[in-house]
Parts: sequence; structure tokens; C-alpha cells
Amino acid sequence: MLVPPHGGRLIDRQYEGSEAEEIINQVRDGKLLTLNPREKNDLEMIGNGAMSPLEGFMSRADYEMVIDLMHLVAGPVWSLPVVFSQKDGDPDVSPGDHVGLKDIEGTIWGDMRIEDVFNADLMAEAEKTLGTIDDSHPGVMYLKLLSGKYIGGKIRSIRRREIESFQNYRLDPKETRVLFRARGWKTAVAFQTRNPIHRAHEYIQKCAMEIVDGLLLHPLIGETQQGDIPAEVRMRCYEEILKDYYPNTRVAMSVFPAAMRYAGPKEAIFHALLRKNYGCSHFIVGRDHAGVGNFYGTYDAQMIFDKFDPDELGIVPLKFEHAFFCSKCGGMATPKTCAHDSQHHVFLSGKKVRAMLKEGILPPPEFTRPEIAEILMEAARNGDN
Amino acid sequence: MKGLVIWIKTEEGADESILDKLGREIEVRGGRVEVFHSEAIENLGMENNDRAKAVACAMLASHGVVVIASGPEHPSINPGEKLEVRIIEESDLHRTDTKDIFMRDLELAGLVPPPKYDVHPDEEKEILKKLQDLGYLEE
Repeated sequence: MLVPPHGGRLIDRQYEGSEAEEIINQVRDGKLLTLNPREKNDLEMIGNGAMSPLEGFMSRADYEMVIDLMHLVAGPVWSLPVVFSQKDGDPDVSPGDHVGLKDIEGTIWGDMRIEDVFNADLMAEAEKTLGTIDDSHPGVMYLKLLSGKYIGGKIRSIRRREIESFQNYRLDPKETRVLFRARGWKTAVAFQTRNPIHRAHEYIQKCAMEIVDGLLLHPLIGETQQGDIPAEVRMRCYEEILKDYYPNTRVAMSVFPAAMRYAGPKEAIFHALLRKNYGCSHFIVGRDHAGVGNFYGTYDAQMIFDKFDPDELGIVPLKFEHAFFCSKCGGMATPKTCAHDSQHHVFLSGKKVRAMLKEGILPPPEFTRPEIAEILMEAARNGDN
Repeated sequence: MKGLVIWIKTEEGADESILDKLGREIEVRGGRVEVFHSEAIENLGMENNDRAKAVACAMLASHGVVVIASGPEHPSINPGEKLEVRIIEESDLHRTDTKDIFMRDLELAGLVPPPKYDVHPDEEKEILKKLQDLGYLEE
């Protein structure tokens, strides 16, 4: 028996084929509102159930409960607002309206039955959810570009498989759940990543695999900030390492179509709850998970889990330290397991690795497997990172 | 527990099989449901009009039951502590998500339990095929 979805029910508000056509026909000649990239990701994840129990963009009551108390009005824990903002040039709308949701190119991706239109204090939202109003935080900058008017209501999303990226790796929560059951997994650990895989990640993943039935590698492919390694490169790295270094019956890789919010601890909770909907019982939380710059404390993203009753979260955080190769130990270790000084540790920052690649220097095999280093080097040569 | 009257606005003399269909879906999900056909009013010895039907539905529903009925008129039922009323157009019932929304509302109102499955058994078979096609599972 897999872990139940958050809120008890896996939401399914995603349509394709003739049902999607029906939605498009209903809204194409009416009011159309514009999705920004993050909202488009959110629409997909509400529709496919990854954001269960959400059935739409938040109305004021849920929005306020979430930013103030990290709970939905109906009760379940929820740590970040999932909202739709009114855009310049979009038509005015009011509760009761049925509108289409299109991207900036005009493609319709869903609809919304509007329940609420409300003004929000975006800097109060930033302070409460991101812990800062500093412009150098990408989440703050994102909020500063919004209008301050949010539109809430239940959505339906449209799946357009033919134009999706990573088609072979797009599994919805109901699909990962069926996969886990078919493989006989009762427990699964999710690994969230927006970086290429290095030995440290591999070590952490394999430690986690020792205590659960399977591993869901879940690279984030939604919007990230400039400077992050592109999803295509990261996926190539994972494909390569999975060929020879993981037992294929105990690992599944699928993309996670969320946008990064860089909300640190609150996003760690958010990421965990979404992975619970994918059927995962455990979630790996590293140091400074979903952090950016020095906005969050090293262990904030791990400690926030202690504020909740484990039952109300329904997913177990596996808290890991940074891992490294220790020449004295002769293997991978973390500060929890290694007794030696840092001079014996092979650990490189992302910035250092990027600089090495730029100069044509391969990172050492103790840090990155050679197959992965080659991919990163090629990407660097092509200007992909 | 609050009861619920689902009143489907139909044309005069419309086919009532749609009520049975919705009723079955609620029943399958473990909800206590009563489908109130027009002939029930006549069998009760009452005049077949929407007002009489609405009163009977409200009495039933106030015992924590979902009552489904239909008629061309807007029913004269006042929602209260023991009763909610949902009026929908018959044409809306054919919309893709109307039944989903209904079921969800009933769940939230505590009138039907959440589904015991996370993926509908029929859909699970299709997903298994897809997972095989994508190479996640062997044939």
C-alpha cells in the first residue's frame, strides 16, 4: 500500500484528446487570461494531481492561510501560495466567469471558473514566504513583476503530449503510483534536483535506497534561474549514470515539471508534499534545499520539517549532510561519518566546477564520474552551462 | 451530517435515466443516495408537480441522504442547517468535469467517502501499457 495522496485524494483535472477539444471550444471565443511560465507549470501540476488537494489557483482564504499559517483552509499542510496573477492587457474578470488560460504565444492550456479576484500585498507575501524583500532574491524579483491582483478558481488543464519536452520521462502522479505498485514497491524515496549528478548525490541516493524499496529520480525541469545547468544537460547526465551504476529495477527517473521558487525551507516542504502525491514515502532533503545565495541557514530546510506533526506531512524527510570523497576513508562520506580533516576531502562547489569546465579541465573522478564529466565538458564547449 | 438535494433542471417530461446514472455513481462510491423519480410522487398519492416533489426531496435529504430529482421548475426548497441544495442544468451534466466536481463536493461535504483507490482500476490498465511502451516495465 503506497502512501495516500495529500488530502486523501489524487486530483485529476487534466484532459486530452476530445475532452481537451471540448474545453478549447468552450473558452476560445471568450475571455482568455495569460499564464506566465511559473503559472503554466503550476496549471499542469494542479491538473495532473501533483498539487493535490489543490483543484485550482488559490482564492484569498487559502492564500492568506498558507502565507500566515502554512495550512489550507480545509486543513492540510501547504507551505507556498499557488496563485494566478492578473496581467496587463488581459480582460477584467469577476467571480462566476469561465475563462480560458493561454500562454504568451496564445496556446490554450486550460480553463478556470473564477471564484475570487483579490488584491495582495506582494511584499508581505515575500516576507512571509521567502523570508526577505531583498531584490537580489529571484523570488522577490518575480513578485515585483506581478500586478498585485490574484485570480482564484478551479481549473482544468490540457495535456499536449505532442509538444512536451522529455516526452519519455513525463510521468504524472497516477503513473508513478501505478509504476511503483507494478514493481512491488511499498516505499519510495524521491530525489529532487536542479543540478547535474555528482558522486555526492549518487552516494546520498544510494544511502536512501538502502532503507526503501525504490528511488524516484525527479529532476526539476520547470523555470530555474540563469546560471543553473539546463535540464537537457542534467537529464543526459542522469541517463548516462543510470546505464551502469544503478540497479534498473529499483530506480525510476521522471521529470518534475515545477518551477523553482527559491523559497528554501518552505519550498522543501512544498517539494516533499508534491512527491508524496507521486507516491513517495520518503524525501531527501539536503543542506540549503531550494535555497539561493545566503538567504537561508544551512539547516533551515531540514529543521522546518520538525515544526509539523509527521502524520500531517505524511512523508518522511531524509536529512543529509553534504557528501564528499575522503582520501583517508577511501570512499564517500559525510561529516556525520568521516573522522578526517577537510584537507582529505574532495569537494568542489558548482561555481568551481563550472570554472574548471570552462578552462577545459575535467573534474576529478572522486567528484564526478568520468562519463558525467565528459557530458558537462561537451555542454560547456557548446555554451550550455 | 447535512443532506443534499441535487435538482437537475430538465425539459418537461424529460428522460429520467440520467438521474439513475448519477445515483449509481454516488452509490458505487459509498454514498447514501435516493433517486426520486416523478412517478414516486404519484405512487405517494400526491399531485405530480415540482413543489410536491421538492418537499418530499427535502424531507428525505434532511436525514443525511443525497437526493437526486429533476423537473422543469426551480425547486422551492430552502437550504438550512440540515440541508443543502444544488441546482444544475441537465446540459451541464454532460460537461467533462461536472460529475468530477460533484463527487468532489460530495466528498468535502462528507456525503461520500474519498475513493479507496488513487488511480481508477480501469485507468490503471492503460497506464501499465504506457509504462511498458516507455520502457519502465517489461512486457
